[in-house]
Amino acid sequence: MRWGLSAHARRLATLALAALITAVVTRRAEFAGLAAPAALMLTTWPSGRAAELTVRISMDAATVVEGTEAIVTVEIHGHDDFEAQLVVEPNDHVLAGAAIVSPPGGPVRVVRLPLEQARWGTRSLGMLLITFTDRYRLTEGKVLIQLPVIQCRPLPAQLASSIVMSRLPSRLGEHPARATGEGGEFAGVREFVPGDRQRRINWPATTRHGTLHLTTFAAERTQNIVVIADETTDVGVAGMTSLDLVLRGAAGAVTRYLAARDRVGLVIFAGHLSWLAPGQGQRHYQRLLDLMMATPGGWERAGGLTRLPRAALPPGALIIAFSPLLDPRLIEALRDVRERGFSVLVVDVLNAEPAHDGSRLSSLTSRVWRLEQQAIRFSLTEIGVPVVHWDGVTSLDDPLAPYTRRVMVAHR
Amino acid sequence: MSRRGDGAGADRAGGAGYRGWRFRGLGLAAPAALAAGVIWWASFPVSGGGGGTQPVLVIAIVTGAMSVAELAVATIVIPQPEGFGAADRVVHQVIGLISMLPWAELMTVAALVLEALHKSRPWHTAVLAVALTGYLLAVHLAETDARVGALRAQLPLLCAGAGLAALSVGAAALPGLPAGPVATTVRIGAVVLATVVAGLAVPVWFSRDR
Repeated sequence: MRWGLSAHARRLATLALAALITAVVTRRAEFAGLAAPAALMLTTWPSGRAAELTVRISMDAATVVEGTEAIVTVEIHGHDDFEAQLVVEPNDHVLAGAAIVSPPGGPVRVVRLPLEQARWGTRSLGMLLITFTDRYRLTEGKVLIQLPVIQCRPLPAQLASSIVMSRLPSRLGEHPARATGEGGEFAGVREFVPGDRQRRINWPATTRHGTLHLTTFAAERTQNIVVIADETTDVGVAGMTSLDLVLRGAAGAVTRYLAARDRVGLVIFAGHLSWLAPGQGQRHYQRLLDLMMATPGGWERAGGLTRLPRAALPPGALIIAFSPLLDPRLIEALRDVRERGFSVLVVDVLNAEPAHDGSRLSSLTSRVWRLEQQAIRFSLTEIGVPVVHWDGVTSLDDPLAPYTRRVMVAHR
Repeated sequence: MSRRGDGAGADRAGGAGYRGWRFRGLGLAAPAALAAGVIWWASFPVSGGGGGTQPVLVIAIVTGAMSVAELAVATIVIPQPEGFGAADRVVHQVIGLISMLPWAELMTVAALVLEALHKSRPWHTAVLAVALTGYLLAVHLAETDARVGALRAQLPLLCAGAGLAALSVGAAALPGLPAGPVATTVRIGAVVLATVVAGLAVPVWFSRDR
């Protein structure tokens, strides 16, 4: 902590000294009188300082979601009679509820500072400047403390419906499959064979046909979903960049499918490839979100990225890719995955165009760029990879509606 | 459109704006009015000052204006200048320039020099003392966003200071008082005033660490 004269004391000292010097130089006694009020106020300069000051900072949560508040609690002990003023200097994308706070008096002063993270990322909340002043505000002690680092996760996009594949792996789940099994959904009626459970005998059909008939039910299976988040490019306006939309969309899909008891994996397609094989449960959900936040984004000239690893893609998995489709390596990887027989769906999050100055050449360039983008999307559609556009504002249900209303047929 | 190639993993967010504006209209009005009053009073009449009055007057006006501007920009939270537009950078530099020097102290010195450049006029200097002290207190209140009641504890000292200023003005106004009953009365009055001043100041001084 740094103790020293306050700005008020410095100004009073300047007035007193300048007036006294003027009085001596000009030999005019009235200037000495001019120094008197300031000099007398300076006599109340405190001789002692707070012996031992303790500042304790704690947070109510280590992770928050975009747009939610984190409460930082500041406890100040041992301040004696000194008044404390807290000034929050928030980092970028952090919004402070109140920039300047003066806690009420008492042996222990507790201040609760609401700080809101406006954008995902792992960053310190900012700096906290605590200024202690004596009651005459002549001396002050300043201490600058870094506020804790907090992980802010992307706000998951709204997704209430889910895409279900026609072929599901042989794992117990909650989606009715084409095969018959022990589920709860009616599948059909067939003749009784020895070994069938008697409680499933369909008596109306038995009476009608004269032979024993049985009610069959659809098996309930889980499905494997692999979400690909393309972090290679970040374009668009701040707060709604393609990277923002990729992460929010991926977080929404992960949240939705894990809530439906599906097995969800994640592939981060960035400077280098990171992935988590499909899994279930709350702990897996946390691991997926941690991977999403921990992977460095950006573009690197690295080879071998056009082929996604087999371990990340279990057979029969549905692959949902969130991407602005600007990186040719990802487009190549998606083609490769489709050729390997996976069902792929691309959510296009590109919502920006190259800036142009209105000149003829610039307009032509923009037009060529747009045609190129259309060609990329058309080529994907032609090989059986549907591309839907999501603007980041509406629910993800809207662009995915054509695929969530019916079973998505898996074909090679 | 830009391609992100920094690979920053921990904090990938960019772009910001100025936050934390809190206009303190009435809080700024008092120091602004007192600064204008102090400069006008110290320089009046401009033609009556000695050589160098006009340059010092200009300095006083500039420093007075900057001291008020410094108070106005004190509440602006300045984020890191990375990723800013040109206008934001200019604002950033102007705020840095305004906050660079102790303008209130410079204006105080300029006002004293202005007053010293004029011929001796004790009552005029006494009024300047009141205005200048008031200006510094107003700057302090505006700076800390405090109410006038915050100065209540120092009120005896301010009264004592005003008494001492009155003594000095009296001494300057009556330099050659001839010996006699009038001079004796004035001296007795001065001693009484000094005693009252001490009576006001000493208790505050003893209680300063409580």
